[in-house]
Amino acid sequence: MNVSKRWLHDLVPGLQATSAELAEHLALRGAPVDTISSPGEDIADVVVAKVLSARQHPNADRLSLCEVDGGDGVVQVVCGAPNVRGGTYYPFAPVGAVLPGDFRIKKAKIRGELSQGMLCSSKELGLGREHDGIMELTGEFTPGESFVTAMGLDDATLDVEITANRGDLLSHAGVARELASIGAGSVVLPELPGDPGVSLAYVEGTGEVAAGGVTIRIADPDLCSRYMGAIIRGVKVGPSPEWLQKRLRGAGARPISNVVDATNYVMLELGQPLHAFDLARLAGPGIVVRRSSPSEPRFTTLDGESRALNTNMLMICDAERPVAIGGVMGGLDSEVEDDTTDVLLECALFDPKSIRATRKALNMSTDASYRFERGVDPDGLRTALERCVALIVATAGGTVDAQALDCCPVRFAPSLVDLRLARIEKLLGVAFEADYVNELLHPLGFVVEGSTDGTLHVRVPGYRSYDVKREVDLIEEIARTHGYDAFPSDLGPSRPGSVPDHPMFLLEDELRAAMVGRGLFEAHTPAFAPPGEGDVEVANPLASTEPFMRRSLVPALLRRLAYNLARGNRDVRLFEIGTSFAKAGPGSPPHEETRLAAVLVGRREPPHWSVAEEALGVWDLKALLEDVVGRAYRGSAAVAPGSVAGDTFDAQTTFVVHDASGNAVGHGGRVLGTAVDTPVWASQVWALEVTLPSNVLAAPVASYSALPTVPAVERDLALIIPDAVAAAVAADLIRGSAGEELEALELFDLYRGPAVPEGTRSVAFRLRFRSPERTLKDKEVDRNVTVVLKRLEEELGVKVRG
Amino acid sequence: MTDSNPIDALRALEAEALDAISGAPDEDALEDARVAFLGRSEGRLSAVLRGLGQLSANERPAVGQEANRVKAVVTAALETRSAALGRPAGASGLDLTLPSRKPWKGGLHPITQAVDEIWHIFRDLGFSRARGPEADTEWYNFEALNTPLDHPAADEQDTLYLVDSVLLRSHTSPVQMRTMERHEPPIRIIAPGWVYRRDTYDATHTPAFMQIEGLVIDEGVTFVDFKATLAEFARRYWGPDTVIRLRPSFFPFTEPSAEVDVKRVITRPDGTREETDWLEIMGAGMVDPAVIENAGYDSERYTGWAFGMGPARIALLKHGVDDLRTFFENDVRFLGQFAR
Repeated sequence: MNVSKRWLHDLVPGLQATSAELAEHLALRGAPVDTISSPGEDIADVVVAKVLSARQHPNADRLSLCEVDGGDGVVQVVCGAPNVRGGTYYPFAPVGAVLPGDFRIKKAKIRGELSQGMLCSSKELGLGREHDGIMELTGEFTPGESFVTAMGLDDATLDVEITANRGDLLSHAGVARELASIGAGSVVLPELPGDPGVSLAYVEGTGEVAAGGVTIRIADPDLCSRYMGAIIRGVKVGPSPEWLQKRLRGAGARPISNVVDATNYVMLELGQPLHAFDLARLAGPGIVVRRSSPSEPRFTTLDGESRALNTNMLMICDAERPVAIGGVMGGLDSEVEDDTTDVLLECALFDPKSIRATRKALNMSTDASYRFERGVDPDGLRTALERCVALIVATAGGTVDAQALDCCPVRFAPSLVDLRLARIEKLLGVAFEADYVNELLHPLGFVVEGSTDGTLHVRVPGYRSYDVKREVDLIEEIARTHGYDAFPSDLGPSRPGSVPDHPMFLLEDELRAAMVGRGLFEAHTPAFAPPGEGDVEVANPLASTEPFMRRSLVPALLRRLAYNLARGNRDVRLFEIGTSFAKAGPGSPPHEETRLAAVLVGRREPPHWSVAEEALGVWDLKALLEDVVGRAYRGSAAVAPGSVAGDTFDAQTTFVVHDASGNAVGHGGRVLGTAVDTPVWASQVWALEVTLPSNVLAAPVASYSALPTVPAVERDLALIIPDAVAAAVAADLIRGSAGEELEALELFDLYRGPAVPEGTRSVAFRLRFRSPERTLKDKEVDRNVTVVLKRLEEELGVKVRG
Repeated sequence: MTDSNPIDALRALEAEALDAISGAPDEDALEDARVAFLGRSEGRLSAVLRGLGQLSANERPAVGQEANRVKAVVTAALETRSAALGRPAGASGLDLTLPSRKPWKGGLHPITQAVDEIWHIFRDLGFSRARGPEADTEWYNFEALNTPLDHPAADEQDTLYLVDSVLLRSHTSPVQMRTMERHEPPIRIIAPGWVYRRDTYDATHTPAFMQIEGLVIDEGVTFVDFKATLAEFARRYWGPDTVIRLRPSFFPFTEPSAEVDVKRVITRPDGTREETDWLEIMGAGMVDPAVIENAGYDSERYTGWAFGMGPARIALLKHGVDDLRTFFENDVRFLGQFAR
């Protein structure tokens, strides 16, 4: 909300503060100031000038030659604006002035005629967007006086952030109340120049009221608890007086016409939105407040937009048709125009939830809907109506009907909230005396109406009736006005929590440390995915958000790998621990898994002068995969050759991981060249992904076994193994047949070449035998080896290499 | 090999070689000794190593091991003697200024590092880590947290929905309710995790980002504890001279609510000290009694406080990163700057 500093000073005469001090005060009251702007800052050199005469430029059809009195002698100025006229005041930048954008005005010859300065449009002054002509100033001025002062632009505008609970701060009076309560005085509404001093009598009713030939009826009191109207006849619509225009500009609003400006003024001052209808354009004349009917599918608002209605929307109607969307925006056909003479002024109270639903359905937000949605003072309607009437009569003339209409089916009753002093201390940790509580609450409009046994009964003012309903809401007001800074900051004792550290975090910690130890960098990628990479769709994605949630972490990591390669990073090793999403039952949240994925390309180790460079290969990938699986599944899952659906992995070089129940829980292998965008010089790309078990397995407790006291006996076997027999199968057979003394089996050599027959390879195993009790004899071991060799030959066709 | 026991023969050879080396009067004599024992073709130790293949499989490991040990001892003695004789490091010697052979260095993402640093402080203050799903329901994300869907505070413009009432959590606060449902007070947790907002990518916003929730619920927990604990956290994270400031704010699930700012004191290289501007680090407050009641606890008995902070922003300020999007590029040169 844009707040004019001058307006605040007028509301709180005792207020002494700079803009920065105001910002600090407001921040410490929960309404921080985003920016402080002074619209006149950049245009201090601009003066008000009178154009004495304007005539056609002799050499250009569209230019005029003007005699300009800028207070410093009469000069000639060439002007291109169609609206320049003699006898009129305009903003004028004399030679030497600097305009926004560091634009310095110089003496110039334009089409052969001397031009000494520039008459300015509002756009050139940074005050508006219109550029159809120079800015005509209404009123009387002294040529040469400061334009900034003349326009009231020497105000400061504070952009105050108002939280969603504080609708009462969406007005200058509301902000002033917060400042007044810091001891700067109290809020008084400033006198309006030319205030005719109207006083209204009200015709009251609960369903329908009539006065001055106008009827107001509320058909849907659940959405509109009060609707007031005042009739002003014989107004003359025109520009507002300068003071009013200045005031609005200082609050960041654009002056339109006296009647509309009056409603905006009161809204900005008191927070009550009002709407002025052209009485002559209302059928009846009368107002019916009701929900839209199915026969009214569309409505054209005063901005010229045709809007689709639904039957939950509250419409303000005349005797025949809707004339406004209640609390949101008026209609095009009933708004006040230049020829309007009689005005019906609306001042009403609408249901916040209904306003919110309506403006959301219409996908719009107006100053009025923004305030109604957050709650308008139910106790302030008459004040607002009377002030607006006075302002209209003061600025647009006319006379107000002595009788105004007040249709109020649901009367506002202020609430009493019980506030226990003991509860304040329990929550805030500091004891507060009743007197001091009263001292804190009273300036904000809260009234302590009595107390019993340490419980205060507090009446809540209307403008706080939306956010202060419970004891705790009052306690917040006490803490806020006492000042958060004033509370002590002593760390007291505390009990440890009952919640154990989530085991998934412990597993993640372990895996992250392991991956970093293996030379990988952790990546962070958002979980959004393009079509094809996810099954869970986002219903309302932004264009910048990919519309699906990823089913796998690998594709995004491969894109990060490609991004690195494209930037010349040859060696890329990335991993990520994150969430994957899969569709669950209809209407249920998706199934989530925590996964670890990694992608790798480049050299096995940093280049070193002592060794030849070697690219990362399948055995590195396998080791990494085994490490991840070992830590995640604690030995209960197995890595084996296999294939993965999709076109990311090379079928010849892929491993799959199965858990103890046989579920596929991971995979890894060589990434196909078609699945990742790599430069020609890049080495092979490797990737893996493992789902971490949702029931995290604790690391097993190591159990001690006594170290052997007797020596081992080793035997090396060089075997010729047919290609059809997997090394793991041969190894398993050896393990299964070598007897229980076999302590360890190691595959230490593999050879293919002329020395071994076609279709086979030579594989060397080292077998270590040991008995816990005694030294084994060579003969015993030889016997075991004989059995192994026999079974290898019989069952697998494996022979000893000769 | 003349001796019947090859191990004994090796030890004799070792003694002979060490004598020759220590007795070498100059570089030339030392070089002769090197050739005699370790020379590629004539060296006596090299011959032993070459002959290993002829040994039986029983003998081979033990003899091989011993031969290698002797070779290392002799090589080291040559180096030592050579250094003693004053030969400069060079051609045939070992130039120890050459670069070492290192493995690749990896590292944690800077945001993870920030999360871990924050977690370690809270761990020391008696907190544990809790988690919850990233896709959740309106109930957990809004309603359980005292945020009616028809209140402006629940403006779903910021929330990404999946289906009907299922959404991507817009903050980590759903973990508050999910934790309270399963556990009894005292609750003392933090909950780091990803959250999602309907934001476009720019220097200060990303539609997915990390957040850390904090929640304390127990008997006798007050605003003073809340303020003191956060002040303690700030001092431990940013240094002992750090001060915090609480500014009133509004969150539907806390009351009183506050924005928490910190002001650090930086010591420049020349020893001068300078205060920073106030820096907003989190939203926080006393847990609203409605939230405590929604968890099935008695709000008259239990009170508590909660916070939510953005480790990405904290990491950004700490390391001088100027654009949040840099964290998602995952350029290994960038990540390498944070490796330890």
